[in-house]
Amino acid sequence: MAGIRLYEELCKGVEECGICVEMCPKKLFKPSGNLNRKGYRPPRLTDVAACTQCENCMIFCPDLAIAVAEKRGRRKVKR
Amino acid sequence: MTEIVHPLHRFIRPHVTSTTNCPGCGNGIAAQAILRAIDELGMTLDDFVFVTGIGCSAWIPSPFFDVDVLHTTHGRPIAFALGIKMGLPEKKVVVTSGDGDLAAIGGNHLIHNARRNIEMTVICLNNRIYGMTGGQAAPTTPLGLKTATTPYGTFENPFDISELVIAAGATFVARWTTYHPRQLTAWIKKAIQKKGFSFIEVITQCPVQYGRKTGSGSAVEMLREYKERSISVKEAAGLPKEKIQGRIVVGELVDKEAPEMLEEINRMRKRASGEKT
Amino acid sequence: MMGNTACAEGAIAAGCEFAAGYPITPATEIATRLAERLPRVGGVFLQMEDEISSIAAIIGASWTGKKVMTATSGPGISLMLENIGFAIGVETPCVIVNVQRGAPTTGMPTAGVCGDMVQPRRGSHGDYEIIALCPASPQEMFEHTLLAFNFAEKYRTPVFVLSDAFVGHMREEVLIPEPGKIPIAHRKIPAVGMDPQKVQGFLDENVAPMPIFGKGFRSHVTSSCHDEYGKRNLSDLAALDNFVRKLCNKILSHKRDIVMVEGDYEGAEVVLVSYGAVSRAARMAADRAREEGLPVGTLRLITPWPFPGEEVGEMAKKAKKVIVLENNLGQLYPFIKAEAAHYSEVFFLPPRVIGEIHDPENILKQIREVLK
Repeated sequence: MAGIRLYEELCKGVEECGICVEMCPKKLFKPSGNLNRKGYRPPRLTDVAACTQCENCMIFCPDLAIAVAEKRGRRKVKR
Repeated sequence: MTEIVHPLHRFIRPHVTSTTNCPGCGNGIAAQAILRAIDELGMTLDDFVFVTGIGCSAWIPSPFFDVDVLHTTHGRPIAFALGIKMGLPEKKVVVTSGDGDLAAIGGNHLIHNARRNIEMTVICLNNRIYGMTGGQAAPTTPLGLKTATTPYGTFENPFDISELVIAAGATFVARWTTYHPRQLTAWIKKAIQKKGFSFIEVITQCPVQYGRKTGSGSAVEMLREYKERSISVKEAAGLPKEKIQGRIVVGELVDKEAPEMLEEINRMRKRASGEKT
Repeated sequence: MMGNTACAEGAIAAGCEFAAGYPITPATEIATRLAERLPRVGGVFLQMEDEISSIAAIIGASWTGKKVMTATSGPGISLMLENIGFAIGVETPCVIVNVQRGAPTTGMPTAGVCGDMVQPRRGSHGDYEIIALCPASPQEMFEHTLLAFNFAEKYRTPVFVLSDAFVGHMREEVLIPEPGKIPIAHRKIPAVGMDPQKVQGFLDENVAPMPIFGKGFRSHVTSSCHDEYGKRNLSDLAALDNFVRKLCNKILSHKRDIVMVEGDYEGAEVVLVSYGAVSRAARMAADRAREEGLPVGTLRLITPWPFPGEEVGEMAKKAKKVIVLENNLGQLYPFIKAEAAHYSEVFFLPPRVIGEIHDPENILKQIREVLK
């Protein structure tokens, strides 16, 4: 999980939501084996190394439940 | 290695532990886009006052954002926002509200403030339904759709809210969908910086009251539909009207200049005290 | 000076910076005067698209720290009531002038009928308390508007000034004190720099400091049921109970400071109870009655709300007969009777026709009748 952090307790589940699963261009999200405290099933990232840090998952998550580490050497803030 | 932290979590009100959105709600994507826009502009939430009405989208900043927020009565946020802007002209005043709140009960305030070109940003989360009350038809609901109050299908033509606002005189109007959060962020930044009435229409999925209730699909299916149906302003310009029917024209629809109300009030004050303007 | 003009001057004397409104007879002169005067003192009057946005805009401006006012008539108040309830619920100082006219509906715009006396108290939905003042002259239009601003600031509440077409359009001498000599109240605000999470800006019976916008309080001001921190609570009935009771008690526990009546009933057996323009006729009738040796007194209700129940009761204990005079079919009458009937016989006297102020001779006739 080097480049991605999943806030499992904020997640509303791959079944009911599942937007990250859809939006990852590499299709790296699969349902995890556990449910969070609210009964939702968070995703899990299958192949960390294949992640390009495109940030789709972070940007599309309606619950701000996925954070992507900043790419090294990348432009910080766009004006 | 330092812990990864979501860059926008610092904007969330401390006691709020999660969003109140249904799973897959497009409002959440829009909420992030707004916060990202503010962050990328190098501004803080203390530069803003948010004003909302009644409905799911009214809960985008209330209580989620750690900001001064006025959560008002149904249809009226723009009218309250005008008063706030009069008293705090240096703050950015942003209204986030839904299609029902802004264009049905609130229609009058929407068109008049577009006409006044008062500097404020109105973000209309258009999910084409009344979500919070359980899926009733809205003035934006497509003709023929079965909803809670139109069980045999709607029988009214829907609004094109952006066209309405353009006709009323708004000087900055753009439309995107929740399939386009990056573009949404970019245009929200532009809207915030516009010295006039800026309006962003966001076509957003309501997976429960629209998607499930009317049989239009899940959050993911609705996002796919937005992707399919979207067409840029440029493309649409080259097509006959029938070809645009059923498509979602996305992009910047208007960016023009017109006298802005606060500036006109200052001129008026000078006239009142006998100064030459 | 016309009553309406004096009202606008009272607002300016109080420090009103922002007013919004919509044209409506017989209140329009207040708007035109404010439109003329406010820009010269750094303020502004906005003519809005309707009364609903008028009250909304002034509430928004009040949340930026400004003193605000709107003026309208009965039909306008009817439109404003939802947002007036909002102002009450989130504790927003503002002044609302109702220059009452013939009603119901469009009615007779130039008739000075006091037909909206209970509207401030029960017009908006839910349980709440309100403050209202009833001027009887252009001088009082000035003074009561000023007082309304001060009550609004002190108690963080909308305050009504209930005038009517008579008092609003009447011209009399108005004495305006020098600016330095006018007592002005200002709302308390929390200490700037305070931790926003610790600010309790709502639901204090002794009036919470108002966490106005733009000061870094990050105030969550919501029309939903909320707690002392402004945090929404839509599930616990205890929270709703707290919300309703605290808002009401904020006014009721300060009745001693707010309620104003003018009593002149020493030794009187018959007391005429009235307010507004009708109190002028009551005064004249009482004077004539006394000249004839009849034991008559008057009680004028200056603040119909919060209802001066104790004051009415005190008077009724000393009197034998109470005659309530109103230019309507009896709006405050049931409230007055509820307090006075324990001790006195209570009668109601409308004018000969609704819309006319009572003829003092007719009042005298009624006095003689009850004294038989």
